[in-house]
Amino acid sequence: MSQVQKGMLAPVTALGGASLRLVSEMGAMFLFFMDSFRLMFSSFGQIPKTVRQIFFIGVKSISVIALIGLFTGMVIGLQTYYALSKFGSEGFLGAAVALSLVRELAPVLTAFMVTGRAGSSMTAEIGVMRITEQVDALEIMDINPMSYLVSPKLAACLISFPVLTTLFDLIGMAGGYLTGVSLMGGNAGAYLYRIDSSLDWEDVSGGYIKSLVFAVIVCTVCCYQGYFTHLREDKGPEGVSQATTTAVVMSCVLILVADYVLTSILY
Amino acid sequence: MDSKSRYDIRLEDLTVGYGEKAVVSDVNVTLPGGRITVILGGSGSGKSTLLKHILRLHRPIAGRVTIGGHDIFNLSRKALRCLKQRLGLLFQDGALLGSLTLFDNIALPLREHTRLKEKAIAEIVRAKAGLVGLADFLGYFPNQLSGGMRKRAGLARAMVMDPEILFCDEPTSGLDPVNSAALDDLLLELKRRFDMTLVVVSHDLASMRRIADHVVVLGQGRVIFDGGLAELEATTDPYLRRFLERRAEESVGEMLTLPKLDPKVMKIDCSKYLGDGGR
Repeated sequence: MSQVQKGMLAPVTALGGASLRLVSEMGAMFLFFMDSFRLMFSSFGQIPKTVRQIFFIGVKSISVIALIGLFTGMVIGLQTYYALSKFGSEGFLGAAVALSLVRELAPVLTAFMVTGRAGSSMTAEIGVMRITEQVDALEIMDINPMSYLVSPKLAACLISFPVLTTLFDLIGMAGGYLTGVSLMGGNAGAYLYRIDSSLDWEDVSGGYIKSLVFAVIVCTVCCYQGYFTHLREDKGPEGVSQATTTAVVMSCVLILVADYVLTSILY
Repeated sequence: MDSKSRYDIRLEDLTVGYGEKAVVSDVNVTLPGGRITVILGGSGSGKSTLLKHILRLHRPIAGRVTIGGHDIFNLSRKALRCLKQRLGLLFQDGALLGSLTLFDNIALPLREHTRLKEKAIAEIVRAKAGLVGLADFLGYFPNQLSGGMRKRAGLARAMVMDPEILFCDEPTSGLDPVNSAALDDLLLELKRRFDMTLVVVSHDLASMRRIADHVVVLGQGRVIFDGGLAELEATTDPYLRRFLERRAEESVGEMLTLPKLDPKVMKIDCSKYLGDGGR
């Protein structure tokens, strides 16, 4: 092949190489998830570790989720009230706030916030353990690092995400009430009635399914990036910071991609 | 097979490294059971890399490692678990888990692999911590301890399951002479009392002379000596003599003849503030 042909094919070669790497990494992450999921049920000893992780991932995220939920609900309440009032349909405010929160915003924004707060620290924690030989120490002590480090985090994410999403839903609806009813003077009875009448079980269960899928994505991506920090070119502290950045960006992108796919399937 | 040769560690045609890049090649040595073998070599000679391969943390590029006749890369899962529970490793920096206290770090293998009650675990942990002089620091986290204390804590953790083979990666580096000597004494005592097999990676000549029964020296990417301490001391090999006598290469002296840095190139003229003493 001549140099000119090689030059012309270079972008295609690069794209092909990148695609293969992406597919390969996704496959490795899937196997990583399967292994950590299997080890979740390996022994009763996982329970105290999982409880500690629920405290870190779930309980410590409550305040930030409550704050974000409140302001998100308030903004939706305000914006939707303005839009609906143009058509004289303020009475549908409760339905609009509830549906947008339960179906879409609560699972997605909760996942984003937990990625930023807990996901990044999961990557950094495991990454630092990797570069300081703590993961090797676990292996030498015949303690499976996946079982000790990753599985309790996965279990904690699977428990915490739906609970935090529910909290986001409730506080968001209260936020919508504050602006749409208390501030703008909408009808309180109509707001609550429309929430009750418009929400179906499919909406709620769809939100929960999304939150569980996001839990798997966030935990798998963040733990995977930390766990394999030592395979990066830079194996030191810079490698940990790069792994953390990659974990957060990749989690956010995958959350949005999965959100689109799930929305297409579920509703 | 007597109790000592049960834990002979044989490295056969072993080539270790990272990826395809070999760090140490064609290693054919036996680390005898019930003895202290010191693996000696300069910085970057591949001592720690070899140790990690002996411990199955990495796969070798070629060759095999057997412990007591068992190829460690061809063991069943249960046999491997049994073997691992008989091994202990002291890492260079201790490798204590940062999120656990010293007590929990030392207790971790007992909690994971035994059915002991907390009271019995606490007794063992206090005894092992006492052996390395850390009984009063059990409530501390690793980042509250000095480097030497972390190393001693790592040794306590490595010993907590009463291993039959103990590997130590540079156990005396970063320790003061008194603590180094105490650690050497502890290793000798472990061998004497428990018939333990010890493999110590080090470049501390004083420590090597105190504890070694058998020495393996690495250099230039291969094994350059394998034998007893007396045989090593009597060697006429120029590289080994320079190493044993701590003689630097001549080229280092030549580097010191380079001219000193000209004060004019400094961004701050320190002589203004410190007089001539500031250059």
